Amino acid sequence: MTATDVSTPATRVEAVPAWNGRLTIQVKVAGSGPPLVYLHPAAGPGPGLDPFVLRLAERYTVYAPEFPGTSAGDPYAIHAVHTLPDVVLIYEEVLRRLGVTRPVLVGQSFGGMLAAELAAVFPDLASKVVLLDPIGLWREDLPIANWMATPPDQLPALLFQDPSGPAAQAMLALPEDLDQAAAAIAAMVWAMGSTGKFTWPIPDRGLRDRLHRLTAPVLLVWGREDRLIPVAYVDEWQRELPDCRAVIIDDCGHIPQVERYSETLAAVERFLLDN
Amino acid sequence: MKITLFEQAPYRQLPDDFEQHHEAVCSTPYSLTTRDGVYSSIRDFLDEMMLGARAGFDGVAVTEHSQSSYDMLPNPDLIASALAYMTETEGLEVAVFPMGRSLGKAREPVRVAEEYALIDVMSGGRLVAGFPIGLHYDAGLNNGVPPVEIRPRFDENLELVLRAWTAPEPFPFNGRFSQLSQVNIWPRPLQSPPPVWITGIGNPRTMQMCLERNFGFNYLSWFGAKLTGKRIFDRFWDVADQVGVPRNPYRLGFLQTIAVAETDERAEAEYGPHLEYAFRKGLGAIPPEKLGLPGGIDIRGVEALVKDPGDFGLYHQMRTASFKDLVDAGVVICGSPATVREQVRSFCSEYGIGNLHAMLGFGSLPRELAMKNIQLFADEVAPHLRDLWTDTEHAHHWWPERLGGVPSAITAGAGATEGAASNPTSIPTSTAATARTEATA
Repeated sequence: MTATDVSTPATRVEAVPAWNGRLTIQVKVAGSGPPLVYLHPAAGPGPGLDPFVLRLAERYTVYAPEFPGTSAGDPYAIHAVHTLPDVVLIYEEVLRRLGVTRPVLVGQSFGGMLAAELAAVFPDLASKVVLLDPIGLWREDLPIANWMATPPDQLPALLFQDPSGPAAQAMLALPEDLDQAAAAIAAMVWAMGSTGKFTWPIPDRGLRDRLHRLTAPVLLVWGREDRLIPVAYVDEWQRELPDCRAVIIDDCGHIPQVERYSETLAAVERFLLDN
Repeated sequence: MKITLFEQAPYRQLPDDFEQHHEAVCSTPYSLTTRDGVYSSIRDFLDEMMLGARAGFDGVAVTEHSQSSYDMLPNPDLIASALAYMTETEGLEVAVFPMGRSLGKAREPVRVAEEYALIDVMSGGRLVAGFPIGLHYDAGLNNGVPPVEIRPRFDENLELVLRAWTAPEPFPFNGRFSQLSQVNIWPRPLQSPPPVWITGIGNPRTMQMCLERNFGFNYLSWFGAKLTGKRIFDRFWDVADQVGVPRNPYRLGFLQTIAVAETDERAEAEYGPHLEYAFRKGLGAIPPEKLGLPGGIDIRGVEALVKDPGDFGLYHQMRTASFKDLVDAGVVICGSPATVREQVRSFCSEYGIGNLHAMLGFGSLPRELAMKNIQLFADEVAPHLRDLWTDTEHAHHWWPERLGGVPSAITAGAGATEGAASNPTSIPTSTAATARTEATA
């Protein structure tokens, strides 16, 4: 199965007021079934849900909140959020307002860090947690690439094992229209800046100290050739988490659900079906 | 017109192929230097600045850059304080102008207030206080400030500095970036307060802040004034019209790299290689991703720059720029005294520039040639520029009173951060009121 075979459940957007009226969080909602929350990576939510998330929406009601500052038309929301603990409270509030209880939490990269923070601060919040190449831990001898200071032309090679592959190319493609392309670039750059408020200059805000509180079952999925954050971090996560299994995917970089869609989907579905 | 001598403090003996292998900031290997090379680069720089002070320039101006081979000045106040004392002992009526401490970078803003206050005291009230927002590589990579926080940090720090200078009583400060139980700096500046100048490269928000708050605005035109000048200065005066302040040329500063010799031919022969060194191994060797980190440029600014990168002028070709490229783009003005004064005068006159920062030492330029450039400019160019705005009704409100300025109050107005909620710690009106009271006392 390839990404293009996926049927596409309709996606709607809910605007959820939060943080005492200072924020309106945009949440993409798709599918039906038990709740699953998807937290996007540092480069932002993108215009639509990716095929992996849409596939999960065939069995789950997917909620995908957009990080403050990354929603179209509301870039300065980032200036209303000041600390990572506040970010965690904002996400908890949004899920509470949506009536989402005991969801599966899925997070990619920066979203993986957020998912782990959320599940560690609120240990009863998530039923299961899936982390796809998450950031959040740091070991000096395993440097994590500074993606924000990487020249744009070198980003594909940082993110993908094969940046020329079809999945990578589809994800990196820009609109042909110059105005639309400029807007897309600006949105991605600003999303990195907004999420970077909580990762710069070292993507470590003390998560390691809190991970023991994350008691829900965790699945780690990691691309073996991840050049942004090395696969050796799997051991670090497993050392800190009480219930964590890991799947390492060969010939795969930092974004397994795009570069190795089928293997990633199979691993995640296996974990979610397993009681 | 006010004319300052401006120089950076580059390492002057980099290898010929430096820019093919290295970047000028952050990662530059220090193993390229020698002990004597570092000493002479700084010693010659200081001697040249003092020559400028003695030769009759209106000011001496320096910048701040950490972890950089093109300007080894991690804190310009160290240089400014040396110049303040030297010029005071020699009785030189010259402004000391650090351009200066970046407030988007500073993690100890009270120290910035204290350093400037002390320089103002040491110089007997000749400080002109520059506050750049902050270069991304310097604030972000060298000092760990998240790029999206550079401007909010600048706004809060500026309020703290202005208050620390002017509040008569100790005050607590409960900011996002600084929390202090009391602020009560000793000494405070002699001026009340020193003239404030902000450096920008074209963001209209920064211009709006300067114009609304009565700060001077410095445009440092390394990108090539013939390419960028009209865009930037037209934009500045358009914003001035929108804000509703007079088009007073003294509120605008312009930096130009200048090389002057007896004839045009001799100027090219003597200075050309050193100018190429300066821009290929300096700005040209700073990669774009270090000048524009995500979050540091407003989202609308990114969109505009993608569509039209014109504000960056010659920058993208600078790593291999020839002398001719630099001249054609207006990155440098090089020639005989007549050539130079004609070009500078016409440019400043066209765009309403009342402060010229003449960059007369650059790159690998050796001490003797830098001294020659400074002296020739002082003797044969500057005297022909000084009267540019004397026949107008405008007074210079952004220059020390001791040096002929007519200080006026800092006013309330926009901050540097587009889209930020009102800063809970800022009290622009009361700060302005304090400043006004002190200024008229």
